[in-house]
Amino acid sequence: MNTWSYILRRLLYTIPIILGVCLIIFAIFNLSGYDPAQLLLGKHASAKQIAEVRHELGLDRPLLEQYIGIVKSAFTFDFGRSWATKQSIIDMIKEGAVPSLTLTFPAFLISTVFSILLAIIVAFFRGKLIDRTLVIICVCLMSIPSLAYILFFQKFFAYELGWFEISGYEHGFPYFIPYVILPVIIMVVLNLGPDLRYFRTVILDDIYQDYVRTARAKGLSEKVVLLKHVLKNSLIPIITYVVIQIPFLILGALLLESFFSIPGLGGLTVKAVFDNDFPVIKAMTILSAMAYIIFTVITDILYTIVDPRVRLK
Amino acid sequence: MKSRNLVSFLIMGLLALTVSCTKKVDLSEKVLHLAVTSEVKGMDPIYANDKYSSNEVGRVYEGLLEYHYLKRPYTLVPNLAEALPEVSEDGLTYTFKIRQGVLFQDNAAFKDGKGRELVAEDFVYSIKRLADPKLQGLGWWLLQDKIVGLDEWREKNSKKDSVDYTEVVEGLKTLDKYTLQFKLKKQFPQFLYSLAMPFTFVVAKEVVDHYGKEFLNHPVGTGPFMLKEFSQSSKKFTYDRNPNFRKKLFPSEASDEFKHMLAYAGKPVPFVEKIEVNIIKEDQPRWLNFLKGRVDYIGIPKDNFESAVTPGKGLGEEFAKKGIDLSVSPSLDVTYTAFNHDLKLFNNVDLRRALALAYDVKEFNKLFYNDTALPAQSVVPPGIAGYMPDYVNPYRNRDLEKAKALLAKAGYPEGKGLPEITYDCPSTSTSRQIGELFKKQMAEIGVNIKVVQNSWPELQKKITARQVMLYGIAWGADYPDAENFLQLLYGPNKSPGANGSGYDNAEFNKLFAKASVMQDSPERTAIYETLNKMAAEEVPWLYGVHRQSYLIKHSWLKNYISTDFEAGQDQYLDVDLKIKKDMQSKL
Repeated sequence: MNTWSYILRRLLYTIPIILGVCLIIFAIFNLSGYDPAQLLLGKHASAKQIAEVRHELGLDRPLLEQYIGIVKSAFTFDFGRSWATKQSIIDMIKEGAVPSLTLTFPAFLISTVFSILLAIIVAFFRGKLIDRTLVIICVCLMSIPSLAYILFFQKFFAYELGWFEISGYEHGFPYFIPYVILPVIIMVVLNLGPDLRYFRTVILDDIYQDYVRTARAKGLSEKVVLLKHVLKNSLIPIITYVVIQIPFLILGALLLESFFSIPGLGGLTVKAVFDNDFPVIKAMTILSAMAYIIFTVITDILYTIVDPRVRLK
Repeated sequence: MKSRNLVSFLIMGLLALTVSCTKKVDLSEKVLHLAVTSEVKGMDPIYANDKYSSNEVGRVYEGLLEYHYLKRPYTLVPNLAEALPEVSEDGLTYTFKIRQGVLFQDNAAFKDGKGRELVAEDFVYSIKRLADPKLQGLGWWLLQDKIVGLDEWREKNSKKDSVDYTEVVEGLKTLDKYTLQFKLKKQFPQFLYSLAMPFTFVVAKEVVDHYGKEFLNHPVGTGPFMLKEFSQSSKKFTYDRNPNFRKKLFPSEASDEFKHMLAYAGKPVPFVEKIEVNIIKEDQPRWLNFLKGRVDYIGIPKDNFESAVTPGKGLGEEFAKKGIDLSVSPSLDVTYTAFNHDLKLFNNVDLRRALALAYDVKEFNKLFYNDTALPAQSVVPPGIAGYMPDYVNPYRNRDLEKAKALLAKAGYPEGKGLPEITYDCPSTSTSRQIGELFKKQMAEIGVNIKVVQNSWPELQKKITARQVMLYGIAWGADYPDAENFLQLLYGPNKSPGANGSGYDNAEFNKLFAKASVMQDSPERTAIYETLNKMAAEEVPWLYGVHRQSYLIKHSWLKNYISTDFEAGQDQYLDVDLKIKKDMQSKL
């Protein structure tokens, strides 16, 4: 099977998954027992008003019709308008995705590259002082809650030293830069521990394989063994780990966005939850699921590129 | 070596970029810097049912009436109305003359982009929008069953595909270009408060038509400020002064506590050129931004309370040195734990009283409100007629012996025979802690409580569906009248109305129905007081506290007053740039 037909088949397989996701979302929202109309109308609602709003929102339509509506929105990306803000939901998502990405993407890129480099170094010096020190540092970094980093960095670097903005965001390049540097640093620090430990384990797993022993026996330098042979073979778990994180980058980093007042998608979702803005919650759930499915497919495709032995049977 | 140089260069460049891009405090023009703790729903007056949305709406839009900025108790004064209305002898017809020459803000929705003059018909349109069944304005409850013909108009149009705004409603008419008349179905003295609430603020039909569904993101009013930058997902709003704003003067009368602000009397408002509102949800960044002088005033976050306020409830010395002022004022609210009166168990007044006497409000106040709140003796908070400053609720102060005796009298000696009582509360950590303390206190008389946490929607649903036994909640005033609090115990208001506990007492209902249609008078206040006492002694709820707001502000902010009705407040605020410049070095 060639790569294109593999990709096509892999994409076709996502359709029933998306239908299933829509069904689950539909069931959750319809069986939760919440009455969105009641919640939207607030403390002075009368039974009659609730019935009127239910009608306006289409909640009294047949269940099948409502389910088809969700499926349609998943394939057309037309999620309608937010109940709370009356804005087009897809526009809101587009608007929120950029600030989220200005924070998460650089952090992801820096921490991934940095962690892989450090993982190669510690693998090179495995068992030595530098390896042990870095592993201990990683464990320490991972043991501190993310909130503690945020509170400390914000208070010390932004408030006491005045090096960064305390909070806020300006749209457009390069205006957003001063606002995202500190949260990016925090995110890198947060990611460093788990990333480095994972990549180190993956690389060390390969280091003890027969082919590495063979390479060394052939007289290749440790550098060549690590970079050319070990790293290449470690790519599959690394790709899985890295690519599957991408959907979460788009969804933003809720805590950081909240503490630094960055108008990203994390905040958008939470606001929707507090406003009982079900269309937005549904849209975000569908998009998250779809992003996850798509990036899983991309991961599988990348496998075939990295290792031609991987093929769909 | 080369690569090390490159890394150093990149790091230095990044730091330089950071430091050079860090925003400096702007001292070139008067800008009001505000921080709000929650995002807003939008800027359509008919949906402004929370204080955050109301405040944003109040910067751009205006109503017929407003609260006098410098008077307490709260007093209504004309705003877009030329004067207070003429009221007919039967108290049913209110006739307003509106100000002439008031212009809407310039906007592309108007002909040539120039804001046109406000006319009485705009109010008719705006109030019909609130009643529009297709729009489901969140303030409809204010006018429901009040104005002659309006409910019928709503009912008729709810069955049509589109709403007919041209049809004349008998109780909502213009007599001429500048005269507006309301006819009420029955006497309702609180009606005037409705006209000071953002729900009834005036909008222009052309603008609504022009922006359609996106109208709530494009506010255009007659108010002192116009929105410059806003998007629903943004964390910031910026406003510019409205060049079309009429000549409106700072008040020249004041209650004693605000007399010092009369230095501004007669000066045209607004005083600031711009307003910048940042949404900062978390306490720490809001607090740090305030300390840096990037925000002009804030409520003191719970975790910073002890560092800012001394045990004597004054401001800490370190803050005072920076010119920071403390403002303390009671909030028009009440917290309470309500019984579900549908349950036979709670028909037993001795049981309710026993629980009330086992409840130690002082401990709650100390733990959860930094000992700043006022233990509620009854429903009505201080600051409005009906509140009785000297009244002591006989079931308020903790008395465990008496509580145990009453529990036995109720048929449950030492709690024997009493089922486990569930206490439903929201799912925040503070609510959980409140629930746990309540459980501990009740256990001391043998009452077994189970704390059940719910998401806010779930709690609302359970209250409405009467699936709770006890639940903890709070009520904030919609307008400064005891009626707004006492209606929480009025039988016909049972859920889904505001009376979530379902308390239904024929005598209370009768007296409330009588008082609610009376004009403000000593006679009405006396009835409110009777109702208040009745509600205290019958213990339909376990009364919590009336909270107090503790705010701090920088010395450069002038005329700030803590108020329960903030909408429109910023037109009276001023920023002294000289003081601000002097103080920057101290922050």
